Amino acid sequence: MSGFFVQNVWMIPCLPLLGAIIAALGARRLRSSSHVPVVAGIVLAFLLSCGALFSASPEATTWVGRWLPIGNLEVPVEFRVDGLTTMMLSMVTFVSSLVAIFAVGYMAGDPGYPRFFALIGLFVFSMTGLVLSNNYLLTYAFWEGVGVCSYLLIGHWHTRPAAASAALKAFLVNRIGDFGFAVAIIWLWAVLPDHDLSYGNILNGSTLAALPEAAKLGIPLLLFWAATAKSAQIPLYVWLPDAMEGPTPVSALIHAATMVTAGVYLIARSMPLIALAPGVQVLIAVTGCATALLSASIALTQNDLKRVMAYSTVSQLGYMFMGLGAGVSDVAQLAVMAAMFHLFTHAFFKGLLFLASGSVMHAMGDVIDMRRFGGLRHRLPFTHLTFAVGGLALAGIFPFAGFFSKDEILLALKSASYSGAGQGWGWVYLLIYWVAIVTVFMTAFYTARAYFMTFWGPEKLPSPEDPEAPRPEPGSGHGDHEPHGPGQGETHDHDHGHVGEESPPVMTLPLLILAVCALLAGICFGPTHLFEHHLHETFGWELLGHGEHGSDLATALISTIGGLLGIGLAYRFYAAESPVPGQLATRFRPLYEASLNKFYVDEAYDWVVVKTTKALAIVCEFLDIYLVDQLVIGIAKLPRKLGKDLLAGYQNGLIQFYAAVSALGVAVLLFILLLF
Amino acid sequence: MSTGQVILATLVILLGAGGSYLLLPHRHGATRSRNVHAAGAVLASLALLGFLTFFSPPSPFLAGLFFYLFSIGAIAGGLLTVTSRNPIYSALWFASVVLSTAGLFLLAGAQFLAAGTVIVYAGAIIVTFLFVIMLAQMEGKALYDRAARAPASATFTSFLLFWCLLYTLGPLHPQQYPAAAEVNGQQYAERSLVRGRNITEFYQLNEQHPDAATALAYAQRQTSAMRDASGAENEKPDVAGLGESLYSDHLVTVELAGALLFVALVAAVAITGPKRPIRPGEGPQQDAGEGGRRDPENLMSHGAAATLIRRFFRSRSFRDKP
Amino acid sequence: MIDAFTLDLLRNYLLVGAALFALGMLGFLSRRNLIVMFLSAEMMLQGTALSLVAFGRYHGNFTGQVFTIVILTVAACEASIALALIVILYNRRSSLDVTLWQDIREEGVPAASPAQEASEAEPIEPVPGPESYPILTPAGIEPAHPVQPWLERRK
Repeated sequence: MSGFFVQNVWMIPCLPLLGAIIAALGARRLRSSSHVPVVAGIVLAFLLSCGALFSASPEATTWVGRWLPIGNLEVPVEFRVDGLTTMMLSMVTFVSSLVAIFAVGYMAGDPGYPRFFALIGLFVFSMTGLVLSNNYLLTYAFWEGVGVCSYLLIGHWHTRPAAASAALKAFLVNRIGDFGFAVAIIWLWAVLPDHDLSYGNILNGSTLAALPEAAKLGIPLLLFWAATAKSAQIPLYVWLPDAMEGPTPVSALIHAATMVTAGVYLIARSMPLIALAPGVQVLIAVTGCATALLSASIALTQNDLKRVMAYSTVSQLGYMFMGLGAGVSDVAQLAVMAAMFHLFTHAFFKGLLFLASGSVMHAMGDVIDMRRFGGLRHRLPFTHLTFAVGGLALAGIFPFAGFFSKDEILLALKSASYSGAGQGWGWVYLLIYWVAIVTVFMTAFYTARAYFMTFWGPEKLPSPEDPEAPRPEPGSGHGDHEPHGPGQGETHDHDHGHVGEESPPVMTLPLLILAVCALLAGICFGPTHLFEHHLHETFGWELLGHGEHGSDLATALISTIGGLLGIGLAYRFYAAESPVPGQLATRFRPLYEASLNKFYVDEAYDWVVVKTTKALAIVCEFLDIYLVDQLVIGIAKLPRKLGKDLLAGYQNGLIQFYAAVSALGVAVLLFILLLF
Repeated sequence: MSTGQVILATLVILLGAGGSYLLLPHRHGATRSRNVHAAGAVLASLALLGFLTFFSPPSPFLAGLFFYLFSIGAIAGGLLTVTSRNPIYSALWFASVVLSTAGLFLLAGAQFLAAGTVIVYAGAIIVTFLFVIMLAQMEGKALYDRAARAPASATFTSFLLFWCLLYTLGPLHPQQYPAAAEVNGQQYAERSLVRGRNITEFYQLNEQHPDAATALAYAQRQTSAMRDASGAENEKPDVAGLGESLYSDHLVTVELAGALLFVALVAAVAITGPKRPIRPGEGPQQDAGEGGRRDPENLMSHGAAATLIRRFFRSRSFRDKP
Repeated sequence: MIDAFTLDLLRNYLLVGAALFALGMLGFLSRRNLIVMFLSAEMMLQGTALSLVAFGRYHGNFTGQVFTIVILTVAACEASIALALIVILYNRRSSLDVTLWQDIREEGVPAASPAQEASEAEPIEPVPGPESYPILTPAGIEPAHPVQPWLERRK
């Protein structure tokens, strides 16, 4: 039985791909039923993943076909079915199927309906391929695939300039990371004696020990750089908040649960390689910490519900990186498993939060500015309930999922501060630990703020007289005023309910399922060590240090207190109309403005990177027009000049002249021959 | 060639070039004054005298005298041919060149050629020239006779070539090179050029290059030689020997020359064609429809073809008339 | 027996031949009358014929003279055909000027005009026309005798 699932694991990527192809080719015929092949494909893939879940083993690989036999580089299409892979597979396909079902209701009536579902299917194909792949180059190919699907999906409403530029921004920033990944692969290929890029060849002790010293430092660094772009860490996180221009299911799927976790997956998969460079691991942890803190502080003041969730995602990804970076010496296995557990639970509750936001937005007529609506808990009961569950999970309150996963990361950090003491990094990890605790408080605060601003207080529906309503000109900057939808004047052209009514069951059912998962996933998989045991079956992780770790009651208490404090503070400020937030904002105006404007990071990038690149482009254009083009044109004109201006005068038609020139030539030649 | 001789040669060339340039027509046809002509003539004469010093006189006095006379006649006549404004004068001076050359042939022992040159050139070719000039240029000197095309470059080119030839021929001066060979026990005052019949021995071709020796032997065969095989070193009579050589060794050449002459005859008649003689000023009569248009590039134009076709049909209809 | 035609004599003949050749080339390149051009070409041939005969004599061979005869023949043929062509050319433009034939020049290259500045040119001596030809008495009529005063009776 297990053999069947391992043998046919190739069906997991291919079923959604097939659905996507059918949806794309049959778009004209299927039209509003285009979701059927895609959803069916994803659900089938999920069922197969569950089967594979029980047949995982570190050595289980399936050879599917030849891809690149070039010289001494042989890259077959080979899939590995071990613990890490199957965990990711089942999570990805599960969340994808729920999001796809949600999108059936959300995107109903959209003119790009078939295109949307085809791209969803293509995305699931790329993501499952990425986690299944057994070769770095194959992973890179699927890495690019998810990047492309992200670009296409963010720019789904490509006629909106904001969406188009956000898609381009996402793609270009990801490209910067992809370059690092490519260099890492090339470097790996160069230093490996047999030039085999498969995980099986690289992630074993002998090969790793035989790497040159520079590669031991450089390759982990470059892999981290790639993960920085894909998983939105400092300095390459700037694309994620802008990616909210895409439809909400896209945000839920790609930018919460799956694509942004690809970076974490890559680092986790390459953990034996990364563990060779403890300095890089410290860097990973510090980056994760800084990112978590920065984005949490930005999320405190945002008025756009989806933006809050986006920055929250960046912050939680920072947590995962903190966990990965804590994997030094004998904390290694614990830390990486903690990071993967947080990834697992985060997928559920963040996906849930995004879908619930989408439901709110859908009910409010594509308005997402929290200041324009309030007190929706009676109007939207299911959405309210599920949003509350997700928020509690994000805040890390017992017994919701986030509590256990966040706790494990904090535990790993603390253990690393003891183990790392011997190498001088202990104090860094301790610092990171305390910053993480503070971030827990901030996380709880902004989550509860969003919840209370949306669902508590006097009931208010958005109206055109709101002071925050957009002016009649089309899409302005990255601020928080424009609605998320196909643009002013366009409506969804559908009629599922009027504004202010709860979403239809096709949208609330996935919310409920995800809420159940957010509630139970932590308890069921964490304390029971089911997750750990499953992840033990991962290839290469036996090389990581493994020590004995108990659970730390103190950490759990501190984090829970922090979370409850945050929720309480938010309740005081936002549950009822209170002047305190406004007074605080006025008192700390510079801080408030900085936080509201995302600490001007985008503007700084514009000045440092974009403007210099544009200046360089202008210089190049100038050189091209006046130097290169002139040179080419000059060369092209040279024969004509030579012929017409210089030599044509000699063809004057007079035979005597021709004879004279020949005779002169003979005479001169003779003269030269005689004398010289 | 010693430095002195190089300088002399260069001087001769410069004088000659200057004289020729002054004697040639002006390039725009402007008048040259008498003084200019006189100066040119003086320069040219000086050049000729300097050139004559390059000669080594043949030993019998009379032969030497006649050699000098004929060469002066040839060169002076040549210069006058080239610089005369009247084409009739040019033709006549050319006749004098031909006669001088015939004299030189006589001195070299080629009597038949001397006579042949006079007959063919002076008799036939020059007369033909004169007839054409009569037909074509009845006004005597025309504008284009009085103008030369780029006289400076032409003079420069020709005299540069002449200088190169002088430089090449100079080293054959008698005092330059000692004897090179001893043949038949006699000391020849041979110079660096070995005579034909001694080449094989001199360069030992029989031993080193047998195939070259056979080729040379063929070239020096008895029917072509000027001397009898009897070893008496008697010269054959020129005409008889030439005839024998011509009709035994070069028979095919003679036949081909005859055929060539025939072809030239037919060609000349075909080119000019049997039609009414055309006076200058009248257009060619057959282009009746184009009266007076004389563009050579329109030979294939519609008009010409049409008129030709018309003429063809007209001539057929004429034939039907009684 | 020593051949009297030594190298020095050969050299003499070669020098004369070279001079004739150079002068012929001078005339060919500078004169504009088609007839004079051709005459100069013939003069070049004379120079080469002279050199050939000299070489033949020097090497004791009739081959030089034979070759000269062939050159003579070729010169004759060449003269006949060239003059026929000159007549054709004359028919086209009524002139023996070689400058008139420039049509194979490149596009855009200005044509060299037949001699300009006719005003500066040497005056043409007008050839007297038919009116100046001597008038002959028609046949059968006794011409006027010239007056011989010593035969007249003294009056």
